[in-house]
Amino acid sequence: MNLIDFLRKNVENYGDKVAVIDKGKEITFYQLYEEVKKFSNNLDIVNQEEIISLISENSISFIIAYLGIINSGKIVHLISPDISEINLFNQLKSSKSKNIICNQLTKNKISNFNSIKATIFDIEEILFKKHSEKIKFDVNEYAYLIYTSGTTSEPKGVIISHSMIEFTTKNIVKVLNYSNSDVDLLPLPLNHSFGLGCLHTSLYVGSTLVLLKNASNLEEILDSLKKYKITTLAAIPATLTKILTFENKKVEDYFSEIRLIITNSTAIPKKTVIQFKEILKKGNLATYYGLTEASRSTFMIFDKNNHREESVGKCSPNVEIKIVNKEKNNLKLGDIFIKGENVIKKYWNNVEANKNIFESWLKTGDTGYFDEGGYLFLNGRSDEIINVGGEKVTPNEIEKTIKSIPGVEDVVAFGIEHEIFGQTIKLNVIKSKNSDIDKAQILSYCIKNLEKFKIPSKIDFVQNIPKTDYGKVKRFMLK
Amino acid sequence: MTSKSESKEIIENIFFEVFSNLDKNDFSWEKEQKDYGNWDSFAQLNLITFAEAKFNISLTLEESIEIKSANDLLKTVEHHLT
Repeated sequence: MNLIDFLRKNVENYGDKVAVIDKGKEITFYQLYEEVKKFSNNLDIVNQEEIISLISENSISFIIAYLGIINSGKIVHLISPDISEINLFNQLKSSKSKNIICNQLTKNKISNFNSIKATIFDIEEILFKKHSEKIKFDVNEYAYLIYTSGTTSEPKGVIISHSMIEFTTKNIVKVLNYSNSDVDLLPLPLNHSFGLGCLHTSLYVGSTLVLLKNASNLEEILDSLKKYKITTLAAIPATLTKILTFENKKVEDYFSEIRLIITNSTAIPKKTVIQFKEILKKGNLATYYGLTEASRSTFMIFDKNNHREESVGKCSPNVEIKIVNKEKNNLKLGDIFIKGENVIKKYWNNVEANKNIFESWLKTGDTGYFDEGGYLFLNGRSDEIINVGGEKVTPNEIEKTIKSIPGVEDVVAFGIEHEIFGQTIKLNVIKSKNSDIDKAQILSYCIKNLEKFKIPSKIDFVQNIPKTDYGKVKRFMLK
Repeated sequence: MTSKSESKEIIENIFFEVFSNLDKNDFSWEKEQKDYGNWDSFAQLNLITFAEAKFNISLTLEESIEIKSANDLLKTVEHHLT
């Protein structure tokens, strides 16, 4: 089954049901399919290239364009509207895409990018073009191309096939029990694997998807829970942690009918997990582990009887994970490799990156271990490990310690060059509002709670930490 | 401006923080690195980092290497403060 088959099945079963709601606008499955077919037909104004780039915020138009491009037998190259000129230039060069479809606002923005030579089309222009001819298309083997967020290195093109989407979506539905009676709230961008997986799930089961533009408007998220009788919410950990700053009774009331909150993309604080376990009376908080290259490789449902709040769960059905410990010692910790039908076979036009895929095993770059119960715990990324005079330190451990200091709002730990030790640890710290914490207080806390080779040698107080839309630290930008 | 007596107190406290098992009676300004059982290169780095943070100064690599007693650290800090 491909994505268009997902949609067609819903049209046959309940065409009049609302498929997507966006700012009060609704579209049924039947209407969505008709618009998708129209969009595919109208794509004749775009030339015959295999890949079309799509830049748009969350909207019904985005979904029509996304499915319309796929239905026309082409591959969608998904791009965030916030993309910089240099990043867009690099992605277009790597993808070989020569056409961009976007909204008017983005068109105005990227028209000013001198280095961009691609032809730019307005989504609405294609949507409202009158075209009578009906064309029959064959859907491509691949659905979309997405460049990884580049938290540790330059972006890599990840090409996702329809069979991968089908495999992953079926796993999501099976483990998290999605059904056509769900109403799913999605305040996450659709140009990312997390948000896109939620769209695919809604299309597969025939549930109603309520789109929000972003996750920063907490009031809008909370109001939408009641207004649309939401049953599932997808949100990044930062959103969930911020929601907990609201009055407890109010939060409990808003979430009283929620059966599932799915979160991902960065570690969720243990305290947030514990609090949501209390708040959700009729449901569960869940997370998963995966990369764009190997979506939803594990699932963790935080139920009240399982106290592994820091685990990312067990392997998804028919997905294998192995831990490789190069040091060949008895420690369980090592590099995480994934194998399964959710794993890409190759990167897009990137021979170097393909070296991370060997005999169908993807080297994730993450490190972790399994406990006796088969639950996976992440420890950080192998390429983030700081080597202080031969002692290996994961930033994650340092950051967790520093975050527990009152007066610290956020922190990132990373390695800096040192003439004697090779590397030492530097902290960039964001103070909480009205906090008067100083560097010496942080060091005093470190010396009491960390081994001496883990004590930072430099601390800077900063206003912000560079992160992706999904809250992952862009480590290559740290200094 | 930090007075010498204040600097001495701060440095003494740094030593008690970095060497958590150091007894009040065991501290001496002249006691050398080799006489501390746990003054290794990491402890050296910790001492420098603490001093830099507490006095808001930055020591060079050469200065850092030369510090072999509490007295050495005091002298280096005072050099930066004057």
